[in-house]
Amino acid sequence: MNLVIPRIAARNLTRQKKRSVFLGIAIAFSIMIVTVINGFSGAFIRNVSENFAYLMAGHVFVQGSEKTESGKQLSVIRDDAAISAALEASGISSMRVTRTSEASATLIFEGKSTRQTLTGLDIAGSPFLGERLALVSGTWQATTKRDALILSEKVAKKLNVQPGDRLLAEFKTVTGQNNVVDFTLAAISADTGIVGSVMAYANISYLNEGLGLKDGEYMSLGIMLDNLKEAPAAADALYASMRESGLNLFDRDTEKAQSGVSTPFQEMLKSQKSETWEGVRYSVLTIDDIMAQARQIVVALDSVSLIILLVLFAIVMVGISNTFRMVMYERIREIGTMRAMGVQRSEIRSLFLYEALFLALAGAVAGILAALVAMGIASIHDFGMNSPAFLIMKNGHLSFYLPPLRAIGNILIIVVLTIVAAFFPARAAAKMQPAEALRTQK
Amino acid sequence: MFSIISGITGMPGMAGAKRRTRKPFAGASVAILPLLVSLILAGAAVLPVAAQDKSVPALSATDAARATAILKELDSLDDFSGKDYSALYTIVSEKPGEKQNVSQARVYRRDTKDQFVILVMLPEVNKGQGYLREDNNVWFYDPTSRKFSFSSIKENLQNSEAKNADFTQTSLLDDYTIEAIGEGTVGKYPVWILDLKAKNNEVPYERTRLYVRKDRTMLLKQEDFSVSGRLMRTTLMPKYAELAGKLLPAQILIVDEVNKGEKSQITMAEQSVASLPDKVFTKAFLEQVNR
Repeated sequence: MNLVIPRIAARNLTRQKKRSVFLGIAIAFSIMIVTVINGFSGAFIRNVSENFAYLMAGHVFVQGSEKTESGKQLSVIRDDAAISAALEASGISSMRVTRTSEASATLIFEGKSTRQTLTGLDIAGSPFLGERLALVSGTWQATTKRDALILSEKVAKKLNVQPGDRLLAEFKTVTGQNNVVDFTLAAISADTGIVGSVMAYANISYLNEGLGLKDGEYMSLGIMLDNLKEAPAAADALYASMRESGLNLFDRDTEKAQSGVSTPFQEMLKSQKSETWEGVRYSVLTIDDIMAQARQIVVALDSVSLIILLVLFAIVMVGISNTFRMVMYERIREIGTMRAMGVQRSEIRSLFLYEALFLALAGAVAGILAALVAMGIASIHDFGMNSPAFLIMKNGHLSFYLPPLRAIGNILIIVVLTIVAAFFPARAAAKMQPAEALRTQK
Repeated sequence: MFSIISGITGMPGMAGAKRRTRKPFAGASVAILPLLVSLILAGAAVLPVAAQDKSVPALSATDAARATAILKELDSLDDFSGKDYSALYTIVSEKPGEKQNVSQARVYRRDTKDQFVILVMLPEVNKGQGYLREDNNVWFYDPTSRKFSFSSIKENLQNSEAKNADFTQTSLLDDYTIEAIGEGTVGKYPVWILDLKAKNNEVPYERTRLYVRKDRTMLLKQEDFSVSGRLMRTTLMPKYAELAGKLLPAQILIVDEVNKGEKSQITMAEQSVASLPDKVFTKAFLEQVNR
C-alpha cells in the first residue's frame, strides 16, 4: 500500500497548525455535545426504571385480577401459596419479594384534602425503601406503628400536617364500597419529582383492612432482583413456572405489544377489560413493561441529539469546505508541481480527502474524550436523594451511559460528513491542469 | 356526586341500581362530571330539623314486615315505567374557602327505552353541552366543535368520581337487609328509622339509615356509613312535590360528613311526566338546540 499520500496529508495538516486546531475543535465540540446527550439518554431509562423499581418495590410484578358475578373487576391476589411455589420453582435466585396493596385515596386533614395513591407494604421489612426514600422529618422507627403513613414533603405541606398528626383517608374497598380510615403521619419524605410526590406508604396489614382484603391477600407481588437487566429473563421464567403450575395467566406477549403499537402493560389492561374468566387471573410484568412509554423519551432525546449533530455539523461543514477551498488556492503551484512530476489526479484528490479524514478522526476522538471528561465531572457531584430530579439520577448522582456502537456511529457520521465537505475542493484540485496551475500567481 | 343524588330513593332518576342507570342524573354523573364534580362533594345547609333517635329495638316479624313494606314503597316511587319524565335540575355546591358553584341542566328521560338526554344550561362556559344515552352508550355533544364523542357508561365511570355501585345496586330491597326499625322524629315529623346493612360488598355504602315519615311514605333523611362505620354523608329532603300521584323530592340537601363544610343543594323544578316527542332523544335534538 502506498503510504506516501497519507503521509503528505498528515504533514500538510501540521503546516497550518492554528487552522487545523480550530477546525478540529469545531468538530470536537459538535461530537462532544452529541455524545453527552447520548450518554444522558443511555442512562436515563436505566435510572428511571431502577428508581421506579425501588419506589414500586420490584423489578418483576405479579398482579391478580378477579371478575365478580356482576362483572366488576377486582385487583387481588388470594392464593399466595401457589405463586410462592411457582416463584421457587422458577429458579430465580437472589431476590427480595414484597407484597403490596394500593388505594387511590383522598387524604383529609383539618378542612384540607388532596388525592394520593397509598401503597401498602411491610415498611419495616422493606429496607430498600429506606435506600431510595429520604426522610425530612419523622423517623423510620415511627413507621413501624400499625396506622403509620409516610407522605412526601409536597403533600404534607399541602395538607399542613406534621409527624404525629392524625388524618383521614377516604377510599374505596376492592369491591367499590366507600370507606374512611384514620392514619397517623409517621414521617415526611423528600420530594422525588412528579411521580414520587404522589406516592405515599402505609403498612399493608392496616391498609388491607380498609380495602376489605383478608389476611394473606394483597394486590401485587413485587420481586426485586440484583440487577434490572435480569428482569426480562426472570419474568419469562416466572411466567413459565406459573403456567406449569396451572395458574390462569394473561398473555405476556401479544403481537401488538411486540410490534410497538402499545406497551405490554396497556395490552394487559385491554385484556382485563375485554376478556372474561373465572377466579383470579394473573399477569406478570417487568418494570420495563410498565415504563415502556418512558422509552419514548429516550427515542426523543436520541432524535434531538442527531438533529443537533446534523445542525452543528452543517455549520462546521461549511467551514471545512471553505477552508479546503482556500487550502486548494494556497497550494495551487504545489499541486501543479506535483502533477508535473507525475502525481495522478486521483492521488491529488486522495491527498485532500486524507487530510479531511485525519482532521475528522482527530476531532472526533478529542470530542469523545472531552465528553467522557465532562460526563465524569458532572457525575461526581452529589445532588442528594431529595433532589427534584432524583428519578433520573443514580443514587443522587447524574449518570451517563454511552453505548460503544453509538459512539462509533457518531464518529462515522462526522468522518463521512467531513469527507463530503472536503470532496468538492478536492475534486477541483484534482481537475487542475499542471501547466495552468504552475502559471498561477498568488 | 350524582351517585349521591341517585342514591336517594324516591327521586326520579336518582334511585339506586340498574334502574338507576337509566336515570338522567345517574347518567349525568358520567357526562356532566366536569360540571358537577364539586356538587357531589357538597352537602346542603342543615335543615331546620334534627333527628331525635330513640333506641332501635330488635327486629320482630311485625317490624320486619313493616320495614319491608316501607322499602318496597320507597323503591316504587322511582318507577316511571311507561311515562316520560323531564325536569330542570339546579345544583348549588359549596366548599370552604371556595366560591359557590352553580350548575343547571335540563333532563329528559324515557325509562322504557333506556334513554335520556341532559342539556347543560349552566355554567355559561358549558352551556349547550349535551348527553344522549341509549342503553349503555352515551354520546357527549360539544357545541364548540359540533361533534359527538362516544363512550360507554361503565368506562366513563371508571375514570370519574361517580360511584361504581350506581351500576350494580338494584334497589333498597335488593341491596340491603333490614337490621332494625325504630321510631324518632325529624323536625316535627314522626319517622320510622330503618337501619340497613348491605347484602353484598358491591353496594356503595355498607350501612345506611333511613328516616321515613310515618303518615306518608316520604324519605326525609338518609345517613350513609363507610365500611369502617363512620358517617360519610347525610342527605336531607326538605321539599317534596306530587307528580302523577307520587311524592318526589323537589329539593335535596347533601352534607359531606367527612370533608367538613362541603355541601350541595339540588333543586328539581318543572318536573313533568308529560309525553316527550321522540326527536328529543336524538343527536339532532342536541344539535338543534344549539343553533
